[in-house]
Amino acid sequence: MVRPAGSGRAGGATTKQRGPREGAAVRPASRGARAERLAPYVLVAPAVLIIVVLRLWPLVLGVNFSFTGDGELNGTPVGLSNYLELAGDPLFHTSLRNVGLLVLLLPVAVAIPGLLATFIYLRVPGHRVYRSVYFFPAVLSPVIVGAIFNLMLGFDGPLNAALGAIGLGPVDWLGDPGISMFTVVGVHVWATFGMALVVFLAGFSTLDASLLDAARVDGASLRQVIWHVIIPSLTRTIQFVFVTTMIGMLTSMFGLLFVMTSGGPEGSTYLPEYYIWHQQGQMNRPALASAASTVLFVVMLVVGLLQITLLRRAGRQD
Amino acid sequence: MKQRALWSAVMVAGLAVAGCGSAARTESPSGDSQQKQQKLVVWDWKSSEPTAAAYIEKAKADFAKRHPGVTVEFVAQPFDQYYTLLGTAIQSNKGPDVMLFNGGGQIRDRVDALLPLDQYVAGDKSRLAGWDAFSKDGKIYAAPVTLQGHPIYYNKALYEKAGLDPANPPKTWDEFAGDCAAIKKATGASCFALGNKEGFGIQFFMSGLGSGILTPEEYDDWIGGKRDWTSPNVKRIFELWKDANDKGLNNKGANSTAMFTDIFRVFETGKAAHIIGLMSDIGHWKDFGEFLPPDKIGVMQAPVVADGATPSLPYDGGIGYAVAKWTKDPGLAADLVRSLTSTDALTAFYSKAGAIASDTTIDVSQAGPAVAAIVSEIKTGKPALHVALSSKTLDLMGRLSQQLLSGSTTVDKAVEQLAASDRTG
Repeated sequence: MVRPAGSGRAGGATTKQRGPREGAAVRPASRGARAERLAPYVLVAPAVLIIVVLRLWPLVLGVNFSFTGDGELNGTPVGLSNYLELAGDPLFHTSLRNVGLLVLLLPVAVAIPGLLATFIYLRVPGHRVYRSVYFFPAVLSPVIVGAIFNLMLGFDGPLNAALGAIGLGPVDWLGDPGISMFTVVGVHVWATFGMALVVFLAGFSTLDASLLDAARVDGASLRQVIWHVIIPSLTRTIQFVFVTTMIGMLTSMFGLLFVMTSGGPEGSTYLPEYYIWHQQGQMNRPALASAASTVLFVVMLVVGLLQITLLRRAGRQD
Repeated sequence: MKQRALWSAVMVAGLAVAGCGSAARTESPSGDSQQKQQKLVVWDWKSSEPTAAAYIEKAKADFAKRHPGVTVEFVAQPFDQYYTLLGTAIQSNKGPDVMLFNGGGQIRDRVDALLPLDQYVAGDKSRLAGWDAFSKDGKIYAAPVTLQGHPIYYNKALYEKAGLDPANPPKTWDEFAGDCAAIKKATGASCFALGNKEGFGIQFFMSGLGSGILTPEEYDDWIGGKRDWTSPNVKRIFELWKDANDKGLNNKGANSTAMFTDIFRVFETGKAAHIIGLMSDIGHWKDFGEFLPPDKIGVMQAPVVADGATPSLPYDGGIGYAVAKWTKDPGLAADLVRSLTSTDALTAFYSKAGAIASDTTIDVSQAGPAVAAIVSEIKTGKPALHVALSSKTLDLMGRLSQQLLSGSTTVDKAVEQLAASDRTG
């Protein structure tokens, strides 16, 4: 587990050598040496204990539960049957597919705040107002955002009325399985891009203004300035926003889903988190929910490792 | 080397215990059962509502008379999270002594954690109705407080505007469809107010109209557990569901309209002529009364769709109080349940909250025609069709019903999937 590299083995070796002598006479020096040897373990112990007791042990329990049954089979080992049930459950497939969809939509979710931050940085008219306006939704809770958009996007809501006024047919934003996931992601991006925007603005503040001036003097167009000067200088910021946006999308969509679609229509907006909550809380299947949690854990582990690799590579470039 | 071997051993031991243990705890709680209990904890989602205050007061008073010195604490949980919280309590085998349940799947899925009440509630059996929804395998697990059912409410004002006689609602489906067309033409109101965002609409539809489709034998078999999903009449329920939507009988956007908030508003504001509503809690005659005067709300029987069907009011026990297995003094807790279902308490609940209480001896003659119509049908009423299904099948039915409305599945495929789900329980 967590210990200084090589210290365990070295400690073991010295113990063996010193062993017989200690029985004869314990000298103060050796007691001091032992205390020194034990000190790192003692100092690390609280942190390790907290991780083991509050993180790893529940994790092991959860994985353990996923191999047992529900209801009448409560507590009986059932092998992989929960996982087989998940593999055969179209609803779980949908939820995993939606995770894939979120990953695919990630560039859009990063591009929007990036582009808007660029405009603010380039001081478009009214940029001060926009800076606060864009950040405003980030302080609203997902439940409030969901409730607002439920009203806005209702079948007989204002958005459809506006569309009707210009002659476009009503769109069932939250009732059409082909549209609703995009609707929810869109609302999530609207509600959260303010944070990414701030990060981008922070990145801009480190940007070397003389580069921009030089580009302008050379007659570069806006597109060329963005593509050849701003994006290369902001690589690290962009990568950081990618990682945080990804985490946000995968872990904090529950509130919106709960309020806006309840996983529907036709189960098209399920995400693994929502599936787990549904099985545990509504269907009374805690063991199946544990199995789904384990699968989600593995997915997040893979995603997390990829992100760490990405960040490390970015660090090496500097 | 030694360290590594030790770690390997720990890992092996860890993996070896995988598959032991359980997701919900099984052993009985520790604690001294001899110790005299002074406090009972009740969980529900009702006691914090102002309309239930008088009911809770009456029940508490009744219990205090019989057991002075025992304190009763009501903990009102948010309904959204109720069964999640309860699930956690059940897993840790610690929690309330008495708890409120919805009848049907919600309680049947959790009877492992409950105490059979047969010996305690024998004296109430004939006075109260709706026991079936709280029973499993012949044992009673909760005493009914309200009756929940699915009457078809209609807006008499819209009938009058369309030149129809509100005192004579349609008896057959053809008449019904004809009247709807007339109402649509005269007032622009749709026939049904349907909210199926959560997939609950199909449950109301199935139970509200089912008695007009299935023959009495089929109906009883369905409730008794012998459900023939291949029967043409069962299929007819789902065909009618799809057909009604395709023919424009429902309000638009049913799949994105929420059942318990938005859709009742559609009916109350006269944008739809009929709604399959509830009898208790919410979405019932008293709720509608906020916008529609009581004499403008009618209750009709299910229109006859297939020959041989005998319409009846679909209802079950709505909510009821159960006793947890881990309670220290089962007799005391069961006595509290009896107080919570005493005639006095239930009368208060009926008059303040507008719930149709489970107590058949309550006088309802003052409350208007809709209540009179509902109560008069309770004797001949039968359990609702959807309540007999497991929560897993209901969940699936909700999603399939949305697919039927949007046209992304066929009735045959949907019924086939439901049959498979129903067989596995």
